[in-house]
Amino acid sequence: MYPSKRKLSGAYVKRAATVAAVILFLIFLGFFAAFWNIQIVHNEYFRRLAVQNITRSIDLTAPRGLIVDCKQKILSENKINFTLYLVRENVIDMKKTLRVASFFSARKVDAIRNIIARYKKYPHFYRISIKKNLARDTVIFIESRQEEFPEFVIGIEPTRTYPLGHCAANVLGYISEISESELNSKKNRDYRLGDFVGRSGIEKQYESYLRGIKGNQVVIKDNLEKIQKVESEIKPVIGATVVLTLDLELQKFIESLFVDQFGAVGVVDLQTGGILAMVSKPDYDPELFTQEMEREQWLALSNDPQNPLQNKFLQGIYSPGSVFKIIMALAGLQEKVITPATTVHCSGSQDFYGREFHCWNLGGHGTVDIFSALQNSCNIFFYNLGKRLDIDTIASYARMMGLGNASGIDMPAENTGLVPSSDWKMRTMKQRWFPGETISVAIGHGSLSVTPVQLLKMIATVALRGRMPRLHLLQRIEKDGKNVMEFTPEFTSVPIAAEYFQIVVDGLFRVVNHEGTGRTAAIAGLDICGKTGTSQIIAKDNPRYKILTKEKRFMPNSWFVSFAPKDNPRLAMVVLVENGGDAGVIAAPLAAKIYNKYFENERLF
Amino acid sequence: MKDYFKFFDKFTFSLLLLLPLIGIFLIYSAGFPLKETNYLKQAAWLFFSLVAFFIVFSMKIDFIFRNALAAYLGLLGILALQLFIGHTMAGTKSWFRLGSIGMQFSEFVKIPLALFLAKIMAGFQLIGWKEFLKLIILIAAPVFLIVLQPDLGVSFILCSFFPVIVLLKKIRPFILIASLVLVLLCGIIGWNSLLKDYQKNRIVSFLNPAKYKTSSGYQIIQSRIAIGSGGLSGKGYLKGSQSQYQFLPARHNDFIISVIGEELGFISIAILFFIFFVFFYRQFKFNFHNDEEFYFIYLFNSLILFQFLINVAMAIGYLPVLGISLPFVSYGGSSLLSLFVGEAIMFRIKINNYLT
Repeated sequence: MYPSKRKLSGAYVKRAATVAAVILFLIFLGFFAAFWNIQIVHNEYFRRLAVQNITRSIDLTAPRGLIVDCKQKILSENKINFTLYLVRENVIDMKKTLRVASFFSARKVDAIRNIIARYKKYPHFYRISIKKNLARDTVIFIESRQEEFPEFVIGIEPTRTYPLGHCAANVLGYISEISESELNSKKNRDYRLGDFVGRSGIEKQYESYLRGIKGNQVVIKDNLEKIQKVESEIKPVIGATVVLTLDLELQKFIESLFVDQFGAVGVVDLQTGGILAMVSKPDYDPELFTQEMEREQWLALSNDPQNPLQNKFLQGIYSPGSVFKIIMALAGLQEKVITPATTVHCSGSQDFYGREFHCWNLGGHGTVDIFSALQNSCNIFFYNLGKRLDIDTIASYARMMGLGNASGIDMPAENTGLVPSSDWKMRTMKQRWFPGETISVAIGHGSLSVTPVQLLKMIATVALRGRMPRLHLLQRIEKDGKNVMEFTPEFTSVPIAAEYFQIVVDGLFRVVNHEGTGRTAAIAGLDICGKTGTSQIIAKDNPRYKILTKEKRFMPNSWFVSFAPKDNPRLAMVVLVENGGDAGVIAAPLAAKIYNKYFENERLF
Repeated sequence: MKDYFKFFDKFTFSLLLLLPLIGIFLIYSAGFPLKETNYLKQAAWLFFSLVAFFIVFSMKIDFIFRNALAAYLGLLGILALQLFIGHTMAGTKSWFRLGSIGMQFSEFVKIPLALFLAKIMAGFQLIGWKEFLKLIILIAAPVFLIVLQPDLGVSFILCSFFPVIVLLKKIRPFILIASLVLVLLCGIIGWNSLLKDYQKNRIVSFLNPAKYKTSSGYQIIQSRIAIGSGGLSGKGYLKGSQSQYQFLPARHNDFIISVIGEELGFISIAILFFIFFVFFYRQFKFNFHNDEEFYFIYLFNSLILFQFLINVAMAIGYLPVLGISLPFVSYGGSSLLSLFVGEAIMFRIKINNYLT
């Protein structure tokens, strides 16, 4: 044995051993209880959290349905797009993440911060779309450095594309991300933040058909959001195909006619009421909206005084000018205030209610009847007619012909224009109607205002001698080769005798073919009937006032409404050139070109 | 030689061997998703540790205690040197590279420190001012150097010597109060000047874990999910979603207990705890020839127990993450080697009672 130098007492050592044993026992008892509590008692809770950790439910964006023209040419489709997503739960350093996101998306840090802020109520693993249409280089860069950027995920998704660019932009409309306030509304229940929704045109009108059905994927992923395997998948279903009555070739042709002019054109197939072309200039590139648009870009578009986002054909409000004389003629004949034999002497001006009213032809038209009054657009004849009709009768005929009401075309956000009446004036201005005002309205001025689509519907009704077509852009909606919806032409009758329409049609024929105001629209071999309209408009409070050149500022809008052929008419058309000047010089020849284009393939002359 | 084998505590030694083997088994699972080969390195370290164990075991106890001070001062010198030229690994300068093998010298200080503290403790009855200062300086010197590296875990563990000394010795009440004030002071100074932001974060996030996803608060949440979701029998070896999909941080190291909790369940946890319990219990039962031997075993065994306590409490979220590994089981060569050297001294002390 070693010699012991031990001095500690046996009792001390024993006590120390006991204390050590007790402490040891307490520690292990405590841990035993703690682990029991976590692993056995709360097992279910933690098991659920573990499953939540590794499983993710990812929405799969459905491709929107195609939009095609009457010959199945594609107007709007989808393309593959790489989207940069941010997953907040993987963010380590928000400052760094914002910087990197700003770099990848070429947007300001504040803009990114605003996007993220919108998703406050969404779970932290929700994928926030930061940038669509990511360049391929960027995709490769991020994918190869996933370890470095665990907070970024690349998604492959369909995105809307408009292969024809500006073409028919205002018909197709655009889509953009749904806003938070819209999401609160009940009808948007199945939309989520980041989803796109139709904002105007066909995209909006047929949103419910076009949007398709979202898919869903449940995946197993690791802590870096890297997908390990797909647990289950419901494939997204593409939206239905919307077939329009639009004829892309004609549409393109008409758009090419507007070089540095603004305005609107509508062409309708009189057999069906289907719109063959609908042009509104200026326009825009709807694809701008499917990428994230910068605020400045959006402001530039929406504050543009030329208002490219407005579909002038449906929303532009103009004075109809002499085009209104068609309705005046119909009202006068139907009310038997005039007959084809009624004549008026035009000396260039005439006094009504103590004020001198002028004809546009200061030299005067001499003796005019209804035919020559239409042919030469004689104001004096219609002043007299207006004097014989009261404003409320005129208003009722204007409404009968579709003015003052939405045309009912299958497009959103149509304007109604205004048909003044004594009632209306009392209501809005608390003033009695002055008979002098009726004289102005008789030639389409005064407070009377219309949209181009209303005039198209009106001239179509004249062409069909009182049968009013329902205008529409939709031909049918197809899904999996079957028709989900098909448009059947609808016509209603206008309570004006057909013989009066025939008289007006004869007048309109003379406008084009008998050296009338619309003679520049004449085409040999085609019986075109039409009416010009030249309406002064520009006022200083008009936003366009400032941007127009001095010469153009006071140029009147130039109208030409027309149809052809005279008998068994097939096509009706409205042409409006803003600040175009003399309609016979500007709008009518434009119409001729369009007729030429449409009939060129079947011309036998 | 025959006596050596006869009186050697073979049962405790087998437990000592079993714990690192369990560790290697778990390190394999922890490294499985990323195809890491840490388990092989750990096996090599276990081999070195066994060699070191028997070398130290063969030394005379007198010799060991005689050289404790020199070893202590030598290690302090190395630690000081490391602050200037140390190899930075994971943000700390605590590693020395010898060829391809990294050495963490801070792990080794605990052995000569425990030996020298034990030697001093054998020389007095009551902790007076003189003794108090001596003890404090001895402990504080390496703690200070290691905090600077910075390695909070090891320095924190070294501090645990002091309460054990207070439990074993009588102390003037006034000095006890003074030392409590000192601890408080150290805490305040440390928080304001010494601690790095990430270290503060660890402690702050412990108080509000949900707020810090990628911080150590997140680590604790994931560790609790791993352990809790394991249930009674676990999800199966290599089949824990928390471990295999890498939600569990530092799986092979600080959170190895969570791997066993998730994949092998409560039953295995209970077995592991039982092994540890028996191991600690047996190491506290011994005979001795010299008071310093008694103090050394109490100091060193308490140190390992303390380390075990903190590591496990941290894994279930009862303490903040301090970077303290599970003794014998966690990955880490220096830690394993130093523990085996310490155990060798304990085994030597125990066997001395039977040797003539």
